[in-house]
Amino acid sequence: MDNSNYVALSLAQAMQRDLDVTANNIANANTAGFKGEHIVFESYLHDSADPQVTEDVSFVLDSGSYLDDRQGPLSETGNPLDVALLGKGWFSYRTPEGDMAYGRDGRFVTSPQGDLMTLSGSMVLDAGGGEIALPPGTGDVVISRDGTISTADGGVIAQIGVFDLPELQSLERIGNGMFVRAEGAAPAVQIAALETEVVQGSIERSNIEPVVEMTRLMEIQRAYERAVNLMTAEDDLRRDTLQKLGQNV
Amino acid sequence: MRALGIAATGMMAQQTNVDVISNNIANANTTGFKSSRAAFQDLIYDSRTREGAVTAEQGTTRPTGVDVGLGVRTVGTVRLNTQGGLMPTDNQLDVSVEGRGYFTVNLPDGNQAYTRDGSFQLSPEGEIVTLQGYTVDPGLVVPENTVNLEINEQGIVSAYVGDDPVPVELGQLTLTTFINEAGLRPLGNNLMEATNASGDPLQAVPGDPGVGMIRQGFLENSNVNIIQQITDLISAQRAYEMNSKAIETADQMMSTTNQVK
Repeated sequence: MDNSNYVALSLAQAMQRDLDVTANNIANANTAGFKGEHIVFESYLHDSADPQVTEDVSFVLDSGSYLDDRQGPLSETGNPLDVALLGKGWFSYRTPEGDMAYGRDGRFVTSPQGDLMTLSGSMVLDAGGGEIALPPGTGDVVISRDGTISTADGGVIAQIGVFDLPELQSLERIGNGMFVRAEGAAPAVQIAALETEVVQGSIERSNIEPVVEMTRLMEIQRAYERAVNLMTAEDDLRRDTLQKLGQNV
Repeated sequence: MRALGIAATGMMAQQTNVDVISNNIANANTTGFKSSRAAFQDLIYDSRTREGAVTAEQGTTRPTGVDVGLGVRTVGTVRLNTQGGLMPTDNQLDVSVEGRGYFTVNLPDGNQAYTRDGSFQLSPEGEIVTLQGYTVDPGLVVPENTVNLEINEQGIVSAYVGDDPVPVELGQLTLTTFINEAGLRPLGNNLMEATNASGDPLQAVPGDPGVGMIRQGFLENSNVNIIQQITDLISAQRAYEMNSKAIETADQMMSTTNQVK
């Protein structure tokens, strides 16, 4: 059986998947702390069963997607509970379900009890993995470059935990700007003070680059058209063959 | 192909963003107004192949998976509770809070609301009221023939009545603070109400540690940063356009598919 239609089909399917991932990057162009995702393509070899055919057929396979962990630009908001990370590292959260999660979204709020949490209700954890509670009546807090939260008159409350995740690409995305460490992956390591700067009053914007995503959209569309053209050409070829052979009978 | 739906979530998010920004710009000159910002988060992911899945009997695992995100959602609008600039008005009943705290307003339905807008007036009975005529807690009444009204930093209101050189102390304007000010719900008319998220209202005396001071003769401007709003507006518009391009691409790809046969 002729494989060329299926090779073209594998490309078309891969391009559809890539379009989904690119559209998601674009949809999150204004999501603070968002990290872009990109698809990795591989050729997938298929040995022909026919010994007469020596050439292998390779299909396209989107074998994985990788996380683009580059720093996003910081943008100043002036809100004392907006915190951005400058450098590598992740905040750690405890989700309402009790799972540990990591992320770079530092738009924190306080619960009615004064606990520091994310906008979607996950607890922000300190360096030791404990929850951070701001005592009632604290007023505006000061967050230093190493993540130490203190009151306006200098009383230390807690230190925001900043962790390094060695096996970055094994992180699973769970939405809400959060990532979960894969089972068995290397544990999170606390980052030494000041190696990564904690910036108060700023948020880290999404790290997707509009130009790159737009050109990617064009590439995807053209590659998809190529795949479909290949199918059309194959179809024409077969119709031609049938017509010509049919006339001879 | 999910790109259509994904890009649609992006366009809806940017619409919300523009709505919030235009409300900020519209209220740039509203006394005591606090600017808001729409906050977005990514939606859940469809993990087509999982990270860490075993790829061989030797125990090798897949280092990356295929995570296809399903778009973006608006998770909330965050109010920026920073101090607005104080503008002198020389009006005796114009007061502002410098620091934390809200004036408490008694609504006609018996509930209480909270405001940073201290442009107060007198009712026909001499009561200190807001511009809508709602009583400012604790309902101080200014006597007739008051020549001069003084409100000090602790909110103590004294009136000089007639020719009497000794002022009459009318009472103290109290402030209310909240553990999570961002959790207050705006009611319009510069008023906000307490919610489960804000925590219970805590009555406070102006000038106490962590509580703001009262400034008579000043009004608090809005804290809207116009330049920031305009740049946010530009970036929202461009993000909207980018999402529409993603929809266009998906549309053209589907049209290509339809031409196969």
